[in-house]
Amino acid sequence: MPIAQHVPDTANERPAPAHSAAAHRRGPTAVSALCLLWLLLAQTSARAQEADAPWIRFNGYGTLGEVHSSEEQADFTSSIDKPNGAGHSRDWSADVDSVIAAQLTAQLAPRWSAMIQVVSKQRYDNSYLPGVEWANLKFQATPELSLRAGRVVMPSFLVSDDRQVGYAIPWVRPPLEVYSLVPITKNDGLDASYRVERHGATNTLQSNYGSLHTVGPAGQGSDARNQWGIYDTLEIGPLTVHTAYHQAHLSVSNLQGFFSAFRDFGPPGDRIANQYACDGKLIPLRSVGVDYDPGSWFLMSEWARSDGHCFIGAQSGWYVSGGYRLGSFTPYLTTAALKAQSNTSDPGLVPAGPPTLQRNIAALDGQLNAVLASTGSENSVSAGLRWDFLKNMDLKFQVDRIHPEDGSAGVLMYVQPGFRSGGDFYVYSMTLDFVF
Amino acid sequence: MNTIADRFARCAKLAALILGLGLQAGAGAADVVVVVSARSAISSLSRSEVADIFLGRAQRFPDGAPAVPIDLAEGSDIRDAFYSTIADRTPAQVKAQWSKIIFTGRGMPPEAVGDSAQVKRRLGADPNAIGYLDRAQTDASVRVLMTK
Repeated sequence: MPIAQHVPDTANERPAPAHSAAAHRRGPTAVSALCLLWLLLAQTSARAQEADAPWIRFNGYGTLGEVHSSEEQADFTSSIDKPNGAGHSRDWSADVDSVIAAQLTAQLAPRWSAMIQVVSKQRYDNSYLPGVEWANLKFQATPELSLRAGRVVMPSFLVSDDRQVGYAIPWVRPPLEVYSLVPITKNDGLDASYRVERHGATNTLQSNYGSLHTVGPAGQGSDARNQWGIYDTLEIGPLTVHTAYHQAHLSVSNLQGFFSAFRDFGPPGDRIANQYACDGKLIPLRSVGVDYDPGSWFLMSEWARSDGHCFIGAQSGWYVSGGYRLGSFTPYLTTAALKAQSNTSDPGLVPAGPPTLQRNIAALDGQLNAVLASTGSENSVSAGLRWDFLKNMDLKFQVDRIHPEDGSAGVLMYVQPGFRSGGDFYVYSMTLDFVF
Repeated sequence: MNTIADRFARCAKLAALILGLGLQAGAGAADVVVVVSARSAISSLSRSEVADIFLGRAQRFPDGAPAVPIDLAEGSDIRDAFYSTIADRTPAQVKAQWSKIIFTGRGMPPEAVGDSAQVKRRLGADPNAIGYLDRAQTDASVRVLMTK
């Protein structure tokens, strides 16, 4: 796969984007659209740029991945949006980690800039229809203060806003024990960032407010309203400390009918519906993360806790990860754990009355407990290797040994009746990451 | 777990073996110095202050003046030696760091120029510019910074 070597030929040129031919993905329309866009913009972006003159840049990234899981009674995948994964549905799945993205960044005027990033990855409907990941207008009010309006990815964790950029992160994917904790990953609204540089340290305080509407299968979806958060990133040379708090009122449409069925059973049913229906319930998240990366090695650790005051439940997670660079190879090790912090079962309604009613009640109770049990607990150990084998490209290999606990399936999805908690299973992943 | 640990150790050894050559080639290939315009008020910076400016962690000099870093084009030996000396980072690590910044809309990498003469021209034109050169390429138009 040839990578164009770019050699700027005048003093004021920025490097032209190197086009990667690795952009072959399942979404042929998305890829051809990207190629077309690239052809159109390669000219523009290579033009000379004065410091304050308007400019436009085209960049992109992608990951081609294959994942195998030894657990055949459930699917392993990277996000709750995905309809299947490796293990039960597929022996090997390319859908877990594969992604391609294109981004336009433009400096419109001295203080105004804009960006749009379109991402194609497996969606809830199994298609690779591209979606808008970022789209915002930025105003640099003062050298310290910037304001953005539009769509911004939530900076919930150390690498959550670039979690899909495989090339930018040390692992195949960020540890799911922490990164699966947030049901809401984007914010449509406003965002302010205040950055101070002093005594060799840079502190960025960020706050946002907005909402997010997510579409799921069969017209179902979720709505996060009154979403706000406060985030701090402190950088002192190789040390980065990130803390975050955000909350939203979340409504999830696809179980509303199920919970309203409980309301037919009077106060005991109301109690269940009130407690577990996600109908505007508060979902707070808090996290703290530390990254130390002097260059030849790195150590990262994060802790986070999400408190869903509905069937999503409360969970906390942490990981510690370290790696050592040997030339173009970076082997790494990670250990992580996820723990349910809310009840994963409920006595439900007490079956009473005629036999058919009793059966219905038992069925409702069964479904309720299945939903609650999906708030999982697990621990895992991972070993991997990143190999920067070509300019702007890396290959990664990773093996995870995952141990679901407390009768749960951990982060596994689409759990089959034959699944048994408490054992170990292995996930084997390889990815090719690139940026252009 | 033993099997994983064993495989891991073997992979690491293999990597060290293959990359032995590459590591030596990167070290001490060029005597790189950090330079600013002769008109700049700055006379010394620490390595980490320089690294912060070139890796997008700082946009200002310690005295508060805006910093305008000037890079050499990717693939240049002097550039690779600079990032290796100043930040102990490979070209891939520098690219990864900028990928984080670009794809989160936080900025764009420094302007990259083709050769040392262009670095000097840019420093001559902008007292806030900071660059790096092979020591042999320095002249009266630039000030070589003491890097602690």
